[in-house]
Amino acid sequence: MQILAQLIASGIAVGMIYGVIAFGYQLTFATSKTLNFGQGEALMLGSLVGWTVVAVTGYLIMLPIVLAFGLLQGAVVERLGVRQAIKTKSEAGWIMATIALGIIFKNLAENIWGRDALKFPSPLPEAPLSFMGVNVLPMEVAIVVGALAMMLAVEVFNRRSIYGKAVVATAVDRDAAGLMGINTSLVITFSYALSSMTAAFAGVLVAPVTLTGASMGGVLGLKAFSVAIIGGLSSGMGVVVGGLILGITETLTGYYISTGYKDVPGLVLLLLVLTLKPAGLFGRATIKKV
Amino acid sequence: MLKIENLSAGYGKVQVLHGISLDVAKGSLVTLIGSNGAGKTTTLRALSGMIAPTGGRIMLAGTDIAGMASHDIARLGLAHSPEGRRVFGTLSVADNLLLGSFTRLTGARPRGDVGRDLDRMYALFPRLSERRAQFAGTLSGGEQQMLAMARALMLGPEVLLLDEPSMGLAPKLVEDVFATIALLRQNQVTMLLVEQFAAAALEVADIGYVLENGRITAHGPAAALKTDPAVRAAYLGAAH
Repeated sequence: MQILAQLIASGIAVGMIYGVIAFGYQLTFATSKTLNFGQGEALMLGSLVGWTVVAVTGYLIMLPIVLAFGLLQGAVVERLGVRQAIKTKSEAGWIMATIALGIIFKNLAENIWGRDALKFPSPLPEAPLSFMGVNVLPMEVAIVVGALAMMLAVEVFNRRSIYGKAVVATAVDRDAAGLMGINTSLVITFSYALSSMTAAFAGVLVAPVTLTGASMGGVLGLKAFSVAIIGGLSSGMGVVVGGLILGITETLTGYYISTGYKDVPGLVLLLLVLTLKPAGLFGRATIKKV
Repeated sequence: MLKIENLSAGYGKVQVLHGISLDVAKGSLVTLIGSNGAGKTTTLRALSGMIAPTGGRIMLAGTDIAGMASHDIARLGLAHSPEGRRVFGTLSVADNLLLGSFTRLTGARPRGDVGRDLDRMYALFPRLSERRAQFAGTLSGGEQQMLAMARALMLGPEVLLLDEPSMGLAPKLVEDVFATIALLRQNQVTMLLVEQFAAAALEVADIGYVLENGRITAHGPAAALKTDPAVRAAYLGAAH
């Protein structure tokens, strides 16, 4: 029982990271019906930039710098890889373009930071806290709190500010949003910037617990993508629940069956969801009246 | 206020408008009538930048807006209540109206008193006031039409384009919509109204234009067009 609780606690931290990256997929999908398949690399770059900056400035000052870097990196991806594809209504151009940019970013990172995994200094004590016999790293708590805070901040922005409402309007009906005077191309660039920013943030949250390095992005990006599919590309709740399901099943399978099989249950779940409820567990049909 | 010169536009290789010219004076209500497929909606879409014109000029208060992006045209004061209403279904009625004033709230147009204008809209359309917290997607067709018009008015427009406001509405609601349009005209809102319902449109308008197969075939004071035998036969259901 103790072990089970311990495994679930670790699974939650991993799952929240998947959730926050998946949330980033949703941001661009909402406004442009496109995804950044280099999302994992956005996370990796954020983490490595953070690794370099943190040595100079410390963790707290590093955060805004990494967030700003993420915004910029996302905007670059949109301008180079996606904008032209949207303009020409290309069905698939953006898929290859964002994958290509991801590979380029990875090669760039290998040349700058090398191929080896790097240890990211933890801003919090590395001694585990004990809750009723369950050991939890302070950084794991920070991951859960930080991921939820990031998603909440974006939600509040979308619901409360006029610029956030402009983002939602663009997501609902791009042409009509243009008639309101909203520069919808800029909104799409912004959603890419925001999406990479959440990924970069996830990168510096997870790096102290795992390790960082040029190859850390690929698997995380892919798993977060399956979380986005499981939870639904339109549901904020869905990515949190989907992330937790995947994170927990992974740690449980890794312990009780074999670490060699730890990715299997999540992927089986992905296949089940695609077969039984393709819009995702929490995906909803949009209200549209004519 | 709005002067269209020799405008042509279409979709891909299909040309719909073959050089139309049209004038909307400040404070006047001009209506563009014509049968299905004549190019009425295409005209409005070209004016507001939803499609790029292939030729001609569109002068809005002295600026040529032909080919500009929708959002830049909106910032110059052209509001468009589009065909099919296009309200933001997953946002509340109040948020839809706020988005109508996006250019004012973000400094692209003079801000004025947005709160007072919201109250005016709720006074003009009491149904919207009752439903301000509801998702726009849950409104009836007539209510969505009111919301689309109110949202466009929230821009504080120099010119308001109305595309088929009566489409798909019950007769009683059509009457309400035209009563509202008449009221706006009294308040000196400059409007270009596209309607299939020609008799009612000519009743409220100052000037009418008849569009046939992408060309203007007749125009003049609305009262005169109403008695024109050719117009009567084609659009007003007069005895053959």
